[in-house]
Amino acid sequence: MLEIRNLHAGYTYVQVLWDVSLQVNEGEFVALVGPNGAGKTTLLRTVAGLIAPYQGDILFRGRSIAGLAAHTISNMGISYISESLNLFTGMSVYENLLVGAHTVRDRRAQAQAIEFVYELFPRLQERHSQLAGTLSGGERKMLAIGRGLMARPALMLVDEPSLGLAPMLTADVFRALQTLHQQGVTILLVEQNVNATLRITDRAYVLEHGKIVLTGTSQELLNDAHVKAAFLGV
Amino acid sequence: MSRFVRWASSAAGLTILATVVVAVVSYLVAGPFTVINAVVTGGMWALLSAGLALVFGVMNIPNFAHGEFFMVGTLVAYFVFTPLQAQLKVAPNPVLAAVAPFAGILAALVVGGLVGFAMEKLVFLQLRKRSRQQWVMNAFLLTVGLSVIMINGVQLIWGTDFKGISRYWDVEPLRLLGVKISVDRIAALGLALVTIAIFWYFLMRTRTGRAIRAVSQDEVGAQMAGIDLNYIQALTLALSGAMAAMAGASLLFMFPSFPTVGLKPLYVAWYVVILVGLGNVAGAIVGGFIVALLQTLTSYFIGVGWEDVVPTALIILLLLFRPSGLFGSEVKGIWEQ
Repeated sequence: MLEIRNLHAGYTYVQVLWDVSLQVNEGEFVALVGPNGAGKTTLLRTVAGLIAPYQGDILFRGRSIAGLAAHTISNMGISYISESLNLFTGMSVYENLLVGAHTVRDRRAQAQAIEFVYELFPRLQERHSQLAGTLSGGERKMLAIGRGLMARPALMLVDEPSLGLAPMLTADVFRALQTLHQQGVTILLVEQNVNATLRITDRAYVLEHGKIVLTGTSQELLNDAHVKAAFLGV
Repeated sequence: MSRFVRWASSAAGLTILATVVVAVVSYLVAGPFTVINAVVTGGMWALLSAGLALVFGVMNIPNFAHGEFFMVGTLVAYFVFTPLQAQLKVAPNPVLAAVAPFAGILAALVVGGLVGFAMEKLVFLQLRKRSRQQWVMNAFLLTVGLSVIMINGVQLIWGTDFKGISRYWDVEPLRLLGVKISVDRIAALGLALVTIAIFWYFLMRTRTGRAIRAVSQDEVGAQMAGIDLNYIQALTLALSGAMAAMAGASLLFMFPSFPTVGLKPLYVAWYVVILVGLGNVAGAIVGGFIVALLQTLTSYFIGVGWEDVVPTALIILLLLFRPSGLFGSEVKGIWEQ
């Protein structure tokens, strides 16, 4: 479904990603793990169209999306949930969700999507008319994921949902991602919480210094000597 | 009840209540004329300031060419309305007489929107493609340049003479609360209120209006939700231009068209926007009426020459004690972004 081929990308004066290739198949739950500053966020931002790649190609369902505008990529069915969430803090929870459904013109489909999100995160329904800026950290993550779901994406790119969350809330968010995966959404998850991530995903890539250093099923990586030494501390 | 108390003791509530009290007192002291005058000009300042605040909030452009939309509005209305008026003198026709003013104002609205659209596509989009560094400062300089070019362009083509009309509607003034008030003023106020209402509904309740607000709150988030930034930005500047041009057109009987007619409205709109807090659209609408009341009261009690002195002095005071403006603001300070 998503295929990244020999991608070189970065910012104006710093190249971050060096010859990265990665593949996510339909229905898979794939993790991208690695230490701070490895380029995980840059990779997601490039796929989402917020940064144009220097070189290499990104294919989504066989079509090249490298260098397309972010809103075009979003319209094609890729939903990016950023680390900083980028919520509309001056709008209510409900309005945030409605903006998420910007490209869904059918009112009934919109209402269904909202119902779906409220079912997944009953907490958001309680906070329905509260301004997004007044939500707690966990509720913000839920809202960001909910907003990303509103357009019924085929592929979700989720950037560090555990960042800044208490372990219990992190578990909640991970459970929600698992539920989504079971319902057929393909997910590429970026995480630093390697242990928990490898337990819920199918496959994983390890990114270090802008290069993919390891790949395999999550189970294999959990038992890999390098992963154990570098991330799991055993 | 407690909600009202909380609102009334906030800066916004205090200001609005104080304004209402001042309006009532001045009604009792100076008669209804000042209040009616303040409300009529207030509607226009609200139209102008709302557009200015919107453009700043959505696009981060401090638009010093905003007055030129007003100028374009007066010019278009003049050139559409006067031939119709001449026609009416030759062959009176009640239907045409009723429609002609609207034709002038509507034409101004459309042309103002087109000028705003062209400005975004030809100038700001080009800058955005090349560089986003020092954006606010660069955009500001571009708007000043645009203003100079438009003023001098109009002067070159149409000259510096005053192009005005004495009134739109050739009917007797109405009597209201014991004062005569011209139909033109009432129509201007009515148009301003209707436009503000439509504008507000559009911004708060429609899909596109929501997208505009989304862009003003988080550009990246809006893009991720599939909103086309280029479209929203062009639409925003077009809306802002259309509203300012409409204000110019409906005040043509007060401000005859000449190349620099936009300067005074530009300054007033900036007073308002700074007073209420940059980028705050709702505040700008309220602020328009507040500044208009201040101006009419100043010119009534102190003298017309002091009309700009009082609001300016107030802004200086306000910036000393409350830099984010009366109503605070939803936008972050421009230096934080």
